[in-house]
Amino acid sequence: MSSDTAYASAEDVKRLLADQKYICDTNIATVVYLATMLGKPLLVEGPAGVGKTELAKVIASSLDTRLIRMQCYEGLDEAKALYEWEYAKQLLYTQILKDKISEVTAGTKSLAEAVDRLTEQDDVFFSKRFVLPRPLLQAIQSERRVVLLIDEIDKADAEFEAFLLEILSDFQVTIPELGTIEAVNIPIVVLTSNNAREMSDALKRRCLHLYIDFPNIELEHEIVRLKVPEAEEKLTKEVVELVHSIRALDLKKQPSISETLDWARALCVMNVDNLDEDLVKDTLATICKYEGDLRKAEKELAQHLQKKKASVAGESGAAKPAAGDDKDLLH
Amino acid sequence: MERRILEFAGVLRNNGIRVSTAETLEGLQAAGLLGLTDRGGFKNALRATMVKRTADIESFNRLFDVYFSGLGNLIKELGGPASGGQMTDAEFQEFLDQLAELMQDMDPEMSELARALVMQDAGALEQIMREMMESGSVPAVDSPTQMPGAIRAMMERLGAAGLAEEMDRLRDAAREAGADDDAVARLEEYLEQRMRDLADMLKGAVKIENDQREKPEERKQERDKLLDKSFYYLSPSEIRRMREAVSALARKLKNMMSVRRKRMKRGRLDVKGTLRSSMEFGGVPFRVRYENKRKERPQVIILCDISDSVRNVSRFMLQFVHSLQDLYSRVRSYVFVADIAEVTRLFKDNDIQTGITEAINGNVVNVYAHSDFGRAFRDFHRDHLEAVDSRTTVIILGDARNNYNAPNDWVLRDIQQRAKQVIWLNPENRSTWGFGDSEMSKYAPHCDMVEECRNLRQLYAVVDQIILS
Repeated sequence: MSSDTAYASAEDVKRLLADQKYICDTNIATVVYLATMLGKPLLVEGPAGVGKTELAKVIASSLDTRLIRMQCYEGLDEAKALYEWEYAKQLLYTQILKDKISEVTAGTKSLAEAVDRLTEQDDVFFSKRFVLPRPLLQAIQSERRVVLLIDEIDKADAEFEAFLLEILSDFQVTIPELGTIEAVNIPIVVLTSNNAREMSDALKRRCLHLYIDFPNIELEHEIVRLKVPEAEEKLTKEVVELVHSIRALDLKKQPSISETLDWARALCVMNVDNLDEDLVKDTLATICKYEGDLRKAEKELAQHLQKKKASVAGESGAAKPAAGDDKDLLH
Repeated sequence: MERRILEFAGVLRNNGIRVSTAETLEGLQAAGLLGLTDRGGFKNALRATMVKRTADIESFNRLFDVYFSGLGNLIKELGGPASGGQMTDAEFQEFLDQLAELMQDMDPEMSELARALVMQDAGALEQIMREMMESGSVPAVDSPTQMPGAIRAMMERLGAAGLAEEMDRLRDAAREAGADDDAVARLEEYLEQRMRDLADMLKGAVKIENDQREKPEERKQERDKLLDKSFYYLSPSEIRRMREAVSALARKLKNMMSVRRKRMKRGRLDVKGTLRSSMEFGGVPFRVRYENKRKERPQVIILCDISDSVRNVSRFMLQFVHSLQDLYSRVRSYVFVADIAEVTRLFKDNDIQTGITEAINGNVVNVYAHSDFGRAFRDFHRDHLEAVDSRTTVIILGDARNNYNAPNDWVLRDIQQRAKQVIWLNPENRSTWGFGDSEMSKYAPHCDMVEECRNLRQLYAVVDQIILS
């Protein structure tokens, strides 16, 4: 474990990730810290769009190391994930080295003898030279400690999961022709899962487990403020609050953090400073991707605006019309 | 601390959370790395290393709080000045200081327990009580009436008799030191209060210990019971808990399919492809190409009887259906009583509970009609038979009680001819099949598999068999 690719403490994680514009709570920071210190893979679960993949990316950039990403899908197999023999190259070499081969076999009396001679040499063709490393092998062979992101592991078949076990527990890869290759540096492994299916216990046992849920209002507010600095404070606050109340609805797909950000950006682009404008309704499509959801969200928006109007009216009616004045000054 | 973490792992296990030895070791390692000063960090470390299922996080949080801070909080809660807060904090502190001085001069020295109790040393008190609890001498309490006895027993074990004596000595010492009557009275009151506090603490400790101990047994029994419980009699909460078991089942089914799919993926030799790729190697067909068979998507058609006699069963069955629908794209489900209707869309558009309610509330088919399998089958044959092809597994869930209508078992024969296999799951006891209006004996010959399926255990067995076949 090289010291340049490790965090000093959980607070350090939090700070370094914040430098990469990734806001996280202490839980996430602690678990990331532990994963890097214990050299254990980190299994990240949670709803879509809470920044699971992003977490791996910022870990890599905060440690200033390479990110090797492997996207899982149904039918992903060893050849695409681990290594492949470069048949073409092997064949090309045999062609070019024909003369050399005849030299080796020269003087043999029988076919069997020739084959024996050749067999002595066959290590040449099944050597590291002809292995084409795929993400997993790349990650453990790397000179520096890298971050290996195995994305959406739940999409891969259950067999692939079983095959990952050797790599995740011992950080070694067995290539039948070459033997076992051990990791030069134990990579920081991040697996993400959307829970399309439950991971096997064997896999879970080898990993640290992190569940990232939607952030609370304050945290999300901070995230939006950081990522969409052009949005005004008041708008940001309102957007986040509304997204939270929309999430509480019974939706087919809840709006994710990235969608909150998209929405805030969209509102900025359209020069909206206030949610009560008509335009807002048209931009709701950025957070709701289903027709039914959209209708529910529109209703929620209308309700929100009504409540706001009522509270503003109450305020200005009862006390000084401070809120209104502020608005005028700002614009 | 090591021992406490190990013990905590035991508590988690008792509560149905799977924690392996390796995970416990990791927990220790992680706790060592982070240190114990930061409580939140410690908790996060244990959770990340020992709890791997999202569903378990909640119970972990609860158990952690009970185990690691239950006693501490309890002791702290009961601290503070006696007699309804007549003393200010400063006065109380002074009072404690005086007591400390008094106790220092006493001979023979006071016991550790007495000292901790009088001085409100929460740490020492927790230590003592923990030792007692770990030595396994906390009696099990099944009913509130056993509580006083349990507390008395624990008091005795702690040496409460000696404790009272020590308190008396402390009071005498105070008098000798020249305290006035008023002060002595105050001291006496304080000491009595502390004795009562001790009893409360013991009560709390017994409760905590029993909280950790009682539940797992109970829950395990409940789980076992659930497994054998007939689908006919399920309470709403049981249906809730069954959901997890059902999704596990569905997963099993899926795994089986994916293995088969892998085996079947490679098709015939692809001559054109092989020739083309041989160009790369100077005409040597070095890499042989195969046609990829079209991916075999498992196709399941489920016919669910939702008549009154099997209402509860169908509720559960539809849950099963729904879990399958989430995992595959090609599941079609139908419900019937006398009419038959497709409910596939209901589950696509709604969450599970709404889907089920919609499917069985009578909007889709008339649920108050008398069961008529024959008619339902005939209508299925007429309207939906094209849904069945050679890759389809047809699963029929129903009791086959046909109210003496025409059974129309020829439909089933037709379905079997078209389908890959037909499976009938019957929620009735096997011994009653074929009696009364049950047409099971007519339907069974046209099924590849007929299984009794009265409870979850049997359903598991059925799925296992399907995997083997």
